[in-house]
Amino acid sequence: MFERRLFFHVDWILLVAVLLLAALGVAMIYSTTYVRLPDGSGHAGREFWIQLYALAIGGIALLVCLTIDYRFLAEHSLFLYAGLLGLLVFVLIAGDSAMGAQRWIALGPFKFQPSEFARMSLALILAMFFGENRRGARNTSDLVIGGIFVIVLFALIVKQPDLGSAMTLLPVFLGVAYLAGLRLRLLAIAAAIAILLAPIAWKYGLKDYQKSRIVIFIDPGQDPRGAGYQPIQARVTVGSGGLKGKGFMQGTQGQYKFLPVAHNDFIFSVLAEEFGFLGVLGALGLYLFVILRSLEAARLAKDRIGAYLVGGIISGFTFQVIYNITMSAGLAPVKGLTLPLMSYGGSSMIATLAAFGLILNVRMRRFTN
Amino acid sequence: MSATPVMMSEDRRSLTVRLTWLQYIIAVLFSALAIAFWVFQIVQHQKFSQMAEENHLRRLPLPAPRGVLFDRNGKVLVDNRSTFNIALVREQTRNLDETLRQLARATGADEATMRETVNRRRREPSYRPIVLIENAMPEQWFAVAARNLPGIIYQPVPTRKYPSSELAAHVFGYVGEVTEAQLASNEYGVEPGAVVGHAGVEKALNKYLMGKDGTKEVIVNSLGREINVMREEAPTEGRGVQLTIDADVQRAAEDGFTASTFNGAAVVLDPRNGEVLAFTSRPAYDPNAFAAGIDRATWGALNTDELKPLQNRALQGRYSPGSTFKMAVGLAGLEEGIITPSTTFFCPGGQTFYGRFFKCHKKEGHGTVDLRKAIEQSCDVYFYNVGNMLGVDRINKWATLFGLGVKSNIDLPNEVTGLIPSTAWKKTTREPKWYAGETISVAIGQGQVSVTPVSLAVYAATLGNGGVRITPHILRSIYEGTEWKPVPAPGPQSVVEVTPEKLQAIRDGMWNVVNSPSGTGRRARIDGKDVCGKTGTAQVISNQGRLAARTTKNLRDHGWFVFFAPRDNPEIAGVVFAEHGVHSANAAQITRHILDTYFAKKDGRPLPPPPTTEQMRLDLTDPMARRAPIGEN
Repeated sequence: MFERRLFFHVDWILLVAVLLLAALGVAMIYSTTYVRLPDGSGHAGREFWIQLYALAIGGIALLVCLTIDYRFLAEHSLFLYAGLLGLLVFVLIAGDSAMGAQRWIALGPFKFQPSEFARMSLALILAMFFGENRRGARNTSDLVIGGIFVIVLFALIVKQPDLGSAMTLLPVFLGVAYLAGLRLRLLAIAAAIAILLAPIAWKYGLKDYQKSRIVIFIDPGQDPRGAGYQPIQARVTVGSGGLKGKGFMQGTQGQYKFLPVAHNDFIFSVLAEEFGFLGVLGALGLYLFVILRSLEAARLAKDRIGAYLVGGIISGFTFQVIYNITMSAGLAPVKGLTLPLMSYGGSSMIATLAAFGLILNVRMRRFTN
Repeated sequence: MSATPVMMSEDRRSLTVRLTWLQYIIAVLFSALAIAFWVFQIVQHQKFSQMAEENHLRRLPLPAPRGVLFDRNGKVLVDNRSTFNIALVREQTRNLDETLRQLARATGADEATMRETVNRRRREPSYRPIVLIENAMPEQWFAVAARNLPGIIYQPVPTRKYPSSELAAHVFGYVGEVTEAQLASNEYGVEPGAVVGHAGVEKALNKYLMGKDGTKEVIVNSLGREINVMREEAPTEGRGVQLTIDADVQRAAEDGFTASTFNGAAVVLDPRNGEVLAFTSRPAYDPNAFAAGIDRATWGALNTDELKPLQNRALQGRYSPGSTFKMAVGLAGLEEGIITPSTTFFCPGGQTFYGRFFKCHKKEGHGTVDLRKAIEQSCDVYFYNVGNMLGVDRINKWATLFGLGVKSNIDLPNEVTGLIPSTAWKKTTREPKWYAGETISVAIGQGQVSVTPVSLAVYAATLGNGGVRITPHILRSIYEGTEWKPVPAPGPQSVVEVTPEKLQAIRDGMWNVVNSPSGTGRRARIDGKDVCGKTGTAQVISNQGRLAARTTKNLRDHGWFVFFAPRDNPEIAGVVFAEHGVHSANAAQITRHILDTYFAKKDGRPLPPPPTTEQMRLDLTDPMARRAPIGEN
């Protein structure tokens, strides 16, 4: 299946940019989870090593996803989708719970989070569905069928509950539909319906803690020690970094835990604190490069399936990046949305690298039949 | 499996357009993010930087010990010790009410009082410790530690220590937390909770004695736990201050009063320069009780005690000087040319002036007396006559020149003035006119004359040193970090032009008071020391009133003794005031112990031991039996 000449078509630049971001994430995890002992010495935290293992496994996943022809994967996307549904149902019945949510499947010492693979699976099945379909996504009934794929996954993930992860499925769907020729008028109508339904969702759909997050986001001063704490501290963390930052491991907000889950949801805040505005520009530039370069892969794709697949994956990725970075500056309500490639989290890292394997896959096979 | 559909050119064109749009939109979103970070990190950097600092940096005060007080020979008078406070850090508590309840149960402290304290300071930052129990006993701390209450800490604090308790309490004064009023007037320029002087030297010299508090900057984590000390600025101890007080003479004065059982005051000066060697006011209080924060009960008791232990009698008590006033009248007579030292008057035991009979204290009369004899035996009739010839204004002039009725300007706070009547003064009162008959009482220091003990001490010193009205002072030198820097003595308030021979006649009389067999102050005599002095008795109530009120202790007369020694070139002078001391001889007895101690120390003899009450040979006989009432026919 793998021909040697394909090796020369691998987008090494994209791969390097992705790995740079992952390395930056590992460095920030090292900084925020470093264990200081009372005698002045210290050692790297457990999270640092786990992230390194995840990076290695993610590398393998990337290779696997690169090697297998994406068209083969797309053709079998229904099986992958069904398998994922099975895992999600299993999670709901017998998953591991932590922090009030049941999201994980225990695999020996590791915990596996199937919802992280939902985006990739969804992108594959939607790319297949719209790519095979001659009419693309110009027809409302096609959209409804595509939407069903989304809603089933969405419902299962929301039930965990993990609204944040579930939300990232929507940009995947929108991305594929948009590239498949979705009429913008339909998009506008959908947006109007969403706005009209928002009050109902507010009343019945959101849990109290979710409502308070949104209220507090609008006015953080309302409860500075409680729910308003995180957005305020996020801004303080970012703002106190200044132009050049406080230096690696020299931050105060992240190091002294004024900012919670600094190695996870708020890793970008700590990067802003320790490396300053210059560091922020560097990281933003890398992310923007990765996204635009990936979209080039969609443009170059040999077929619609490849283009839609890249579009779906990168839409979900972009949404997550922008949302998390906005949140890390205290400008968006706090959600359990991690920063892909940088935040701590094994399943997320593996899934993200696997997804980039698919993107590289599409570009690499642009000349093959 | 069907062949993968190849893209048609139309499809590809549409895809390219849509991808380009998508790329632009994403680029715009990323630019917006970059701008947002620029606003926070560059434009508003200052603000957030400060907020981050406030998050993790804590400035805690390190209280500075106050300067040590030394006596003139370098003996430590007032020092510091470490006590421990139990304090509350609100931000570390989980449940404030419960913590206070537990603390009250563990220590026996009053929960309501603690709650009130916390409430009063609720606006201060929540990391600043609030002291709940000052001067905690070790048992209290162990009880607290056993309960492991979050937010309760144990702070060592330097606390004033007055090793001799009540000794010279009115000189030292006391310290306490700065009051709201002092904060409002910014008298000391300190923060709430600072300890400042409230009386005596502690107040007067507060600017030297108060050190500079240090600060400790610590890094805390989000739980408020101290992680690291960033910077520590050690507190600077207040400057050491040397007083003019001689601890041994001071002790002698205190011992003399203790043995005599009387309250009162004593001021002992060096008449050459005004240095205060001893200064006491009795009853006193224990300044240690204030140092660690006085409790309400003790404070209330001090304030309601009818003996007024908080009153500094030496500076704030106004009393009739009685016969100690006679030298001023005699000197006025001499200097105004009314009499000469050899002028005599006949004392038959009393004399009628302006239709009223004024008795001498000696019923049978002194016979023919000259000035020296009149002072020696305190003949009232002699001074009635001199005073009558002088008139009140000339008495006022000379008494004032010698420091009576005016402030001594001693460097201690809250001095008051006495009163020497004059016709001008009389006009300020409701009664319009001064009657010549009133002068007769003034001539023997009765009537409306009132003085403070410190002004009588200045008077004695001025008589002794030949007319230099020295300024009494208590500050001798200040430690300037590396060396003692003497504080220049304040110059005299004035120098009185007196004819030396005339003043000498007065001093001869005062020498006779102590050294002649018929003198009234023989008890103050010390062989070879030429002690000069004058007794005085101040009536607290007229004998008529006394009879009506029946005798109780606090209606007994006051006893005075003013003195200087030796007669020529005196080096010690002062006053002893025995409140309700009945007879001036008792004041002379206290004086003797002071002078004996002073000269023993100077001559290198062993200091006399503290006298016992028996050794004081107190004369407590009813003066009514011997003395005729004044102003009765």
